Amino acid sequence: MAKVEVTIVTYRDIFQEEAKEIGRYSDEYRDLSALILLDRGDMKLIKTEDGQTVQVETDGGMVVVTARLSEEDEEHPGLAFMPNSPWSNQLVSEDTGTSKIPEFKRIKAEVSATDKDVDTISELVERIRADY
Amino acid sequence: MAVCTGCSLLCDDIELEFEDGKISLTKNLCRKGEGRYRSLREDRLVPAVDGAKVGFDEAISRAAELLGDAENPLLFGWSNSSLEAQRIGIDLAKKLGATIDDTSSFCQGYLMEKVLRGEYPTCTLDEVRNFADVLIYWGSDPSSSQPRHMSRFSYFPRGEKRQRGYDEDRTAIAIDVRKSPTVVIAADGFFRIPPGGDAEFIEALLAALGGKIPKVKDKKMKKKILKLGSTLRKAEFGVVFPGLGLIYSLKDEIDKLTPLITRLNEVSSYKLIPMVGHYNMRGFNQTLLEETGHINRVSFKDGVEHGTQFAVTEAVNDCDALMVIGSDLISALPAAISKKLARIPTVAIDPHRNLTTDMARVTIPSAISGLEAGGSALRMDGVKVEFEPVIKSGYRSDVEILSRIMEAV
Amino acid sequence: MANVMEVYQLLPKTNCKECGYPTCMAFAVALLGKEKIIEDCPPLIENPKYEKKLEKLRELLAPLMSADATETGMIIHTDKCYGCGNCVVACPVNVANDPKGTALGFGPKSGRAILMVEDGVIKCVNVEECRRFGPEKILCSACIVTCPSRAIEFV
Repeated sequence: MAKVEVTIVTYRDIFQEEAKEIGRYSDEYRDLSALILLDRGDMKLIKTEDGQTVQVETDGGMVVVTARLSEEDEEHPGLAFMPNSPWSNQLVSEDTGTSKIPEFKRIKAEVSATDKDVDTISELVERIRADY
Repeated sequence: MAVCTGCSLLCDDIELEFEDGKISLTKNLCRKGEGRYRSLREDRLVPAVDGAKVGFDEAISRAAELLGDAENPLLFGWSNSSLEAQRIGIDLAKKLGATIDDTSSFCQGYLMEKVLRGEYPTCTLDEVRNFADVLIYWGSDPSSSQPRHMSRFSYFPRGEKRQRGYDEDRTAIAIDVRKSPTVVIAADGFFRIPPGGDAEFIEALLAALGGKIPKVKDKKMKKKILKLGSTLRKAEFGVVFPGLGLIYSLKDEIDKLTPLITRLNEVSSYKLIPMVGHYNMRGFNQTLLEETGHINRVSFKDGVEHGTQFAVTEAVNDCDALMVIGSDLISALPAAISKKLARIPTVAIDPHRNLTTDMARVTIPSAISGLEAGGSALRMDGVKVEFEPVIKSGYRSDVEILSRIMEAV
Repeated sequence: MANVMEVYQLLPKTNCKECGYPTCMAFAVALLGKEKIIEDCPPLIENPKYEKKLEKLRELLAPLMSADATETGMIIHTDKCYGCGNCVVACPVNVANDPKGTALGFGPKSGRAILMVEDGVIKCVNVEECRRFGPEKILCSACIVTCPSRAIEFV
């Protein structure tokens, strides 16, 4: 399976913030959170189209989200964006360096196409609860 | 007029219409604030112990027990509580000999400390509206996070010395890694930098301000930065609005920003206002600073101690009980750290059900500030804003909940 | 915003005159001027070979035909609106009519503002005061260029 290496930058989206106010468990919140915005070229490399699911993996964890074509007007291969959420946080390392602030905005990850469904919030909760 | 606690702008011009005791129409609320108002009816938390619903009093006494029995309790949250509740929270931490930390610990903390200690010049948003002519949105996206920032204060409104409208009177510049909704409307220049490229951009800008050629590979960008240098020099009253983009890029090396702030104030007059997210993060930092000399990451176990070991992301390794108030910590932290949190006996106080309350041993529902409970808070620029409840509800305020826990401990 | 050529390309281009106009080009102009509706072109509706064109044309003209469009052709896509109020504060009519409210960044105070935020999204009232209203209209774009999400357009 083809993979592409990316640096993920998390961001805030007002529609997602609105959905968060309404409830972390709402479908709306998941639809607006479980996303990764990819460069057109990167999408081609992993043979994925807008709206299909992808698996995103880091040393810290793994998550299945929907791939979206980035609306940036410049190409940005190797750079991807995700709304800040429990989905993006599956990927963030627990190594917080000297600052003790996690690396929320420079996440090194591998993205590949998948047939799996987007992770639900309950699945994320189960993973957090599970013993390690 | 009501006050919206949806973000740290604390908009105080919210108008409401009521029908049968319920809000039927809102005026002047942005989409984010509207979400907070709608949340009145969604997914409210119930008092529970180990997943079983209990009465409020029972929840309080179990919470006090859990915290009181602990050796190393950690009290976390605070940026969504009123100043009055924060003060009780700090007292509770003292009484328990607990560690206390807030969301600034993995958010705006390093920068906020500089501002609160007077190391970076700052001003009020009202001054921005009346006088500012050059605005730099750096790693911040007010359109998404503080939606009325540009319309109420920074870019679009008329002010005392800014009477002619934004297109003539104000210059807006955005520095970001992506074309955010703020970049789209900041008309005077978008500087796209790579992730983590902020320190380099600071260097380039310092060069340009000193009349030197910035060390930038891209020729177009080099020219653009030189031009920016001269724009910044011409400012009468410039303001930098740093967001998480800049702060997460520098983290504990926030001092890298200092030479630029100094230089900007040699060539003109520049202020800085951190783009705080939660409505009263600044309030907590200010209150704790007055109380202990530190803005966050404090332990009261042995007098007052401060250090990175008391940051929530570290303290989680040592604490044996956790109280989280007004924050969905489990959602906000990396899953690997949340896994540790999930194993700590937790008391969660929140208006809503969320991941943190779902993993807590004891849950205590609270009133939503500004809607169901009154109090006061510090806006992102430090201006104190007071608010009254606008509707009746049976939910207890953070002040009442914390006072009850305090009594019972 | 759709232009005449885009509309024309999606018509049968047979100049059959069934719509009452001499040419398909004239019908395209009438569609954009809201003098005719798509259903006034029988071949397009009835002949299955135009099915794709019909679908595209409906899509193209949907904003124009929607009941949301005011007399100035303003369409507010409330689903995209942030409720930030940038347009409210930047609108020159609001500034002139409401100097103590919207001009200073607040919600309207005078009752004479034409743009305001209600229930978290933008709303246009007193449309006759908009600079784009009537035959003497000025193509003001203050509310368009200040929008972070392109929630306002004129058709």
